[in-house]
Amino acid sequence: MDDGHDRRQRIRRTALLCGVVALFFYLGFILLGVIRS
Amino acid sequence: MTTAVADRAHGDEQHGHHGPAKGLTRWLFTTNHKDIGTLYLVFSLIMFFVGGSMALVVRSELFTPGLQFVHPEFFNQMTTMHALVMIFGAVMPAFVGLANWMIPMMIGAPDMALPRMNNWSFWILPVAFSILLSTLFMPGGAPAGGWTMYPPLVLQTGDAFPFLIFSVHLMGLSSIMGAINVIVTILNMRTENMSLLKMPMFVWTWLITAYLLIAVMPVLAGAVTMLLTDQFFGTSFFLAAGGGDPVMFQHIFWFFGHPEVYIMILPAFGIVSEIIPTFARKPLFGHDSMVYAASSIAFLSFIVWAHHMFTVGMPLTGQLFFMFATMLIAVPTGVKVFNWAATMWRGSMTFETPMLFSLAFLFLFTIGGFSGLMLAIVPADIQYHDSYFVVAHFHYVLVPGAIFGIMAAVYYWLPKWTGTMYNETLGKWHFWLSTIFVNVTFFPMHFLGLAGMPRRIPDYATQFADFNSVASVGAIGFGLSQLLFAWVILQCVRRNGDAATNEVWDNPKGLEWTVPSPAPYHTFDEPPQVSSQAAFS
Repeated sequence: MDDGHDRRQRIRRTALLCGVVALFFYLGFILLGVIRS
Repeated sequence: MTTAVADRAHGDEQHGHHGPAKGLTRWLFTTNHKDIGTLYLVFSLIMFFVGGSMALVVRSELFTPGLQFVHPEFFNQMTTMHALVMIFGAVMPAFVGLANWMIPMMIGAPDMALPRMNNWSFWILPVAFSILLSTLFMPGGAPAGGWTMYPPLVLQTGDAFPFLIFSVHLMGLSSIMGAINVIVTILNMRTENMSLLKMPMFVWTWLITAYLLIAVMPVLAGAVTMLLTDQFFGTSFFLAAGGGDPVMFQHIFWFFGHPEVYIMILPAFGIVSEIIPTFARKPLFGHDSMVYAASSIAFLSFIVWAHHMFTVGMPLTGQLFFMFATMLIAVPTGVKVFNWAATMWRGSMTFETPMLFSLAFLFLFTIGGFSGLMLAIVPADIQYHDSYFVVAHFHYVLVPGAIFGIMAAVYYWLPKWTGTMYNETLGKWHFWLSTIFVNVTFFPMHFLGLAGMPRRIPDYATQFADFNSVASVGAIGFGLSQLLFAWVILQCVRRNGDAATNEVWDNPKGLEWTVPSPAPYHTFDEPPQVSSQAAFS
């Protein structure tokens, strides 16, 4: 088992990664709109 | 199957925990997953009745041909708002509420991984829906161009337009934050020995749903951001006159919209996969294949979006690709349906209310699946498109599918939440009335669609009168039946009934049944010990 600190780090990293993926889809599709129009 | 659980969580008092805060502050500032789950579920029940009332306005108007009660403009507002409220206000928050309540308990975690963000994700929702519903009182009324918000029609919305866009952004933000929380919790907070493939199916389906949410809610947000800039900032993303393409909006919208369908059904698959083994008294048949099937469905949901728009025109190869990709979804869905049937095979079955709702789900969702297959066939879809057949199809998927799944879950876990058994007789009445009326409402719509009745119209030709009257009677019956649901829940919350045991049902599997009923405010002081052998449902 990880200790608490490692777990908190992993939680932060996973959350950040999810947030970046969400932002990628948001901006990516707007960019697609810019390219296509 | 489970699994020895050594450590049972005890009541709060025994561990010297603080209990919940008192009064309004408990609910405003709570970071407790059970409180936030309750908030989501109460909110979604309220929205269910708000959206249901709008549906009854629609069905009352359609009871007979001609214009009876409302102006056509208001009718369009009702169809649009009914969809937005039911999808984003009732079904999705209900599943997030169930996730909040159950996922930490099912994986042996003390709470969600990001509790403060959890509070935010909930409280954004009432703000979003206050903004959306306030448009009913604005000049020009509420949005009326359909929940799909197609331009250029949606750009004719009056003062409500920016409020619609802002509220959709807020709903998306809430969903994304909720999904991040689910993913982070499941990946990092599972108790020892609970590997991914040993997780209960409800947890699995929610993990997959959360990935879908992360991928597609930002796409919806992007689409409505572009609508906003087209309307107010001089861009022409979707305006043909400025070199834009309105069909591009449809592509982007349905890239969100089709996975959204699975966002609303995958958690229901998980719920049914929990309930059927309990009441068949057998382990879930093919646990791992269920996981792979749900993952396949999620993957396929990204490559079928254009089946919603065959009639806008596309190359033949495009039509063929989207038709066959759509039909392919029937394979993993079939795996799931046959696995549920195999779970019941030679089981020692009993038919309490959660099982009844799960069985109705199985039969009636499958009807919605089959009509979906019919709609996937391009030449047939060109006939069915924008007809009441489509309305019948997606209501079979969403009402006896998603909503019956939610109702099954509420009956299944309500005794664990409240410590009180619901009234089984009233539960069965609620089930039978709902099941009869849901079919009376939506089955005739297949015939109306096949006969050529278009959707989203307040008036219709007289040859459609009989089936419309039947559907309207069914809708009123279904709506009234739900008052019984609210009553049963209220009685349980008031502790008006028999005390529930910790296990509630006959030897159910899963960690949630190892904690007392009602579940203590804080569960799992120590991570529960589980055996390394087997899966949990």
